[in-house]
Amino acid sequence: MLGKMYVIETRGLTKYYGKSRGIIDLDLKIEPGEIFGFIGPNGSGKSTTIRTLLGLIFPTSGSGRIFGLDIVKDTKEIKKQIGFMPSEVNYYEKMDVHELLRYSANFYETDCESRIVELADTFDLDLDRKIIDLSRGNQKKVSILQSLIHQPPLLILDEPTSGLDPLMQAKFFDILREENNKGTTIFFSSHTLSEVQKMCRRVGIIKEGKIIAVEDIENLRKKQLRKIQIEFSQPAKIDDIDCSGIIAPKAEENNLFFLFSGTMKDFLDTLAGKDIKDLIIEEPTLEEIFMHYYSEDTERNNNPLR
Amino acid sequence: MMINTNIYSKELKRYRNSFIAWSISISVLILSGMAFYPILMQGDMLKQITAFFENPFMKNIMTAFGAGLDVLTNVLGFYSTRNATFFMLLGSFYSIFLAGKILAQEEREKTAEFLLTKPVTRLEVLRSKLAAYFTYLLLLNVVILLISFLSLEIFKGDSQYSLKAFFIHWFYSLLLMLTFGAMGLFLSLLIKRGRPITNLSIGIIVGGYFIDVLSKVTTSADKIGYLSPFKFVDSGVLRPDYGLAWWRVLYFLGLSLAFFALTFIRFKKKDILV
Repeated sequence: MLGKMYVIETRGLTKYYGKSRGIIDLDLKIEPGEIFGFIGPNGSGKSTTIRTLLGLIFPTSGSGRIFGLDIVKDTKEIKKQIGFMPSEVNYYEKMDVHELLRYSANFYETDCESRIVELADTFDLDLDRKIIDLSRGNQKKVSILQSLIHQPPLLILDEPTSGLDPLMQAKFFDILREENNKGTTIFFSSHTLSEVQKMCRRVGIIKEGKIIAVEDIENLRKKQLRKIQIEFSQPAKIDDIDCSGIIAPKAEENNLFFLFSGTMKDFLDTLAGKDIKDLIIEEPTLEEIFMHYYSEDTERNNNPLR
Repeated sequence: MMINTNIYSKELKRYRNSFIAWSISISVLILSGMAFYPILMQGDMLKQITAFFENPFMKNIMTAFGAGLDVLTNVLGFYSTRNATFFMLLGSFYSIFLAGKILAQEEREKTAEFLLTKPVTRLEVLRSKLAAYFTYLLLLNVVILLISFLSLEIFKGDSQYSLKAFFIHWFYSLLLMLTFGAMGLFLSLLIKRGRPITNLSIGIIVGGYFIDVLSKVTTSADKIGYLSPFKFVDSGVLRPDYGLAWWRVLYFLGLSLAFFALTFIRFKKKDILV
């Protein structure tokens, strides 16, 4: 049965390190030409997912395909089509930058020399320096070049912006958009949503090894989630307001904070007659929407936004 | 493709300097060691040595090291007992160190992530690295062969030796180094995150050497000698029937192949955690 062709597709992908959890039952579908944000805090399983996709570690169960090829059996064919940027850059310290990039380039059939020079110029990177003498930011640049020079149709980026200054980050994002316009699919992992929302059309959120939501960024914005703060004239209690749609209420002195996903009219009705000094209703940032995912008890409700 | 030439040539370059350093050290050792032979053969020295060997206690000890008087006074005998021990030990160190880090260093320095996300299979990586290891092991042994031959010819004086015995002894020592290398490669793969196995390597070689010596000193401990690869190198170069024994060759090659095979099986499925 041949369904839609995905660039990355995993089914029940699971990895345990001995008894400790890596990822559990991961189902991911990345479409051709999209920029997909993969969001989760440290230790949630982002790197485990990426390492499994790249054949650095082997799945305990489940399967994965990249360009329709099996991630365990066809890993060499797959890697011909991937550019990978690791979260931590570690290269052969005695090599100089050009040597390293040529070593990298020689693994592919494409001639990369002009691209190396061009990108080094864009990122203001000195090709003659030794790897060991480079700052963290410069090592990151080498890593960017290394992932791009052979012009792969899929980029897998594991927290690519850590250690890059804002100017370089902007240049990097420009290049990514450029590549994306040429048809390159980008899988972009990060622990900060604000970074990803600039770039991505869709995001997947991973928590404790499980995907808890995959959403269009636009949809998230349209969910009409509101951030509400009510100030009472006496100390506030969590159950002061009783209305369906209140999420993660928090009482601090006279203030009550919560996110609200219910009907505004019902909410305003419940406020009638209460001793309220002030009321603030605003649109939450995406960060706050996601914080909500994380504060939520996953057992109770995996995805309240659906 | 059997090996990836990109990896192979990079590995050759990476370990070139250490190869040169080891080659020079071992060459100097062989040459300077053999320079003692003519000194030993001078009249006065030989008389003192003869007296020394007639002491029954010393005779036993020296026999343990394979250094009977008749052996020491022949140039090849002198070479294979007095000298070969050192270059066999050093060559074994070189072999086990190189094999022990050629793969593990990628994990230790966390470059395995870079290498294994390139379009190469794990077996290609392993084969290419092994090819570089074999290249240097063989080159080192060619150096040993040439320098040894040279030093024998320079210092032999009136003593005669069999070229065939010389070659066979050389071949045994190459097999010995190969076996230690195969062990080192496999052990390095068992250690998490590619931590160095230097101490373990030294332990294995020095331990193996002393087991061999011990088994020669005391006849009761004769059998434990077979725990040590050194035991399988035949140093009796002056024996008329000295030749290549199939069981010795089989031992070295069998052990090496077993360790290489285990390495391939293990590395193929190993999780690379950086």
